[in-house]
Amino acid sequence: MRELQVGLNQTQKVRLQSALRQLEELSSRVSNSSTASVTVADTIPVNLEDGVLKGHGTTEHNGEVVATLCGVVERVNKLVYVRTLRARYKPEIGDIIVGRVIEVAPKRWRLEINFSQDAVLMLSSMNLPDGIQRRRTAVDELNMRSIFEENNVICAEVRGFQHDGSLHLQARSQKYGKLERGQLLTVPPYLVKRRKQHFHYLEQYGVDLILGCNGFIWVGEHIEANEDEMMIDNKSEETGKPDLKFTALEMQEKAFTPFVTRRNICLIANAVRVLSVLGFNLSLEVIIDTVEASSSLNLDIKDMLGAEFCVLTAEREVKRRITLIKKKC
Amino acid sequence: MDPYQFTKMVGLSTGEKHFIWGGIAQDLRSDGRQRLHYRPISVETGVIPQANGSARVRIGATDVIASIKAELGKPSMHQPGKGKISIFVDCSPTAAPMFEGRGGEELSTELAVALQRCLLGGKSGAGAGIDLSSLIVTEGKICWDLYIDGLVVSSDGNLLDALGAAIKAALSNTGIPKVNVDLGPSPDDQPEVNVSDEEFLQFDTSGVPVIVTLTKVGRHYIVDATSDEESQMSSAVSVSVNRHGHICGLTKRGGAGLDPSVIMDMISVGKHVSEQLITVLDSEISAAEASATD
Repeated sequence: MRELQVGLNQTQKVRLQSALRQLEELSSRVSNSSTASVTVADTIPVNLEDGVLKGHGTTEHNGEVVATLCGVVERVNKLVYVRTLRARYKPEIGDIIVGRVIEVAPKRWRLEINFSQDAVLMLSSMNLPDGIQRRRTAVDELNMRSIFEENNVICAEVRGFQHDGSLHLQARSQKYGKLERGQLLTVPPYLVKRRKQHFHYLEQYGVDLILGCNGFIWVGEHIEANEDEMMIDNKSEETGKPDLKFTALEMQEKAFTPFVTRRNICLIANAVRVLSVLGFNLSLEVIIDTVEASSSLNLDIKDMLGAEFCVLTAEREVKRRITLIKKKC
Repeated sequence: MDPYQFTKMVGLSTGEKHFIWGGIAQDLRSDGRQRLHYRPISVETGVIPQANGSARVRIGATDVIASIKAELGKPSMHQPGKGKISIFVDCSPTAAPMFEGRGGEELSTELAVALQRCLLGGKSGAGAGIDLSSLIVTEGKICWDLYIDGLVVSSDGNLLDALGAAIKAALSNTGIPKVNVDLGPSPDDQPEVNVSDEEFLQFDTSGVPVIVTLTKVGRHYIVDATSDEESQMSSAVSVSVNRHGHICGLTKRGGAGLDPSVIMDMISVGKHVSEQLITVLDSEISAAEASATD
């Protein structure tokens, strides 16, 4: 994520620092002693006589187990490893991700998903537009670009690693597929936690929000699963070329996202931006809460990225966590 | 610059491009700004201690550094009463993958040429935003040569405006050492020069213009385009305007042509936007200078 720069004045700086300090205290109070956080070269206390298994992020140095990464020490029976707090996205089976097509290859699409390697979506592991279950023919292969083109943003699910180490995706449902009419945001992937729901239709805003586990977040106009997609396909066929740039401008302006929906998309997108600048976990509740806070303050959308709202959001997060802890007690 | 160069770099899908176009047509861009709104600007001065003056300007995710080095030199034969200024720009390979290797060179030269045009006026030095005659020490003999270096640290569109702002901030941060000259007995002798380590002359920056780039996307034009928006531009006009509302320079980028009436329209809008930009920039620069002296 390219970090947005916020110019804070002196009072705002002090307020932000105190909010962040409070958050730190809260998190240290919640975590018990078993989850010790370590930095590089910290010794991890272990009972060597038990025959410890040194896992990821650990090494032996002068007869001691030493951390080679910053993170939290995790112990599973004899295994000791370090779970990093900030790391590149590591896919797990069943993750819902948003990616961008970078290549149309024989029988497959290659996708950029913020992982150390590109993911592969096989033609055979996705539903065809006609919805019929059948063998993929050579004709289907030739028509692959009519489904996804280069640079298209699509949503899919992690299917698993193949034997050769490549990552495969699948899109066997109506909810997966091409994403249009909206914007893609990139946030650090550790801010998106795995949940039951990653697709959100925010009815009051008319917006689809997809929180990809890989840190790609889609905010777009809501599209009904079945019919609308067909209509869009027809439209692009009528005009002949997908490049609408030089066709009648009048036609195009009618097809633009309605202003109210666009406002909401920008609102939600800016809420996500503010939260990711501050490094807060992105969940639907927090995002909606931030959006509502900005509308209750009657802020201009662009002022959401300003210093004052950033500080306010940090202070709100402190309050939210305090109430959460109180509820638990 | 090839306007499609950026398209490859950013790689937007048709749907996203359409969304950006729609946003500009409806006067509500992806980050909630209107067409003539700038992103928040932050200025830091004195970032390079070895330089005579330096500044770092951040506009959104765009991050540039400008440094100014003054050296004593000889004025050119044609203009004995004027100093010399040269502007160089470098695009750091960390800013974008396309700047790796020799990739950034083309853009660097283009930015440097555009800055020269916007700040230094014509070849004769007429219409210069920076007063060259203030750089003279002894007419025909000694003058100051200013080397202005710009570095693009991170690029998210609107580099020219950011570099222009950084140079303005760096110039106001610049102290030029006081010089005592002992002229020899005969006019042909090389004069003896004494550069003071303690006394510095502040550079007069009230006349230095700001650059406002208007990027045309579809039928409308926007200021402070992000790189996503720049990938959709047909052409861009950069106007440099000084405090009095005078145009000091004008450049156009991009392949598509523009109707003269549109250019006139863009200039007047650019002039209007520049008033706000100058106010914002001045307050940011004075705030940065104040925090630097603390």
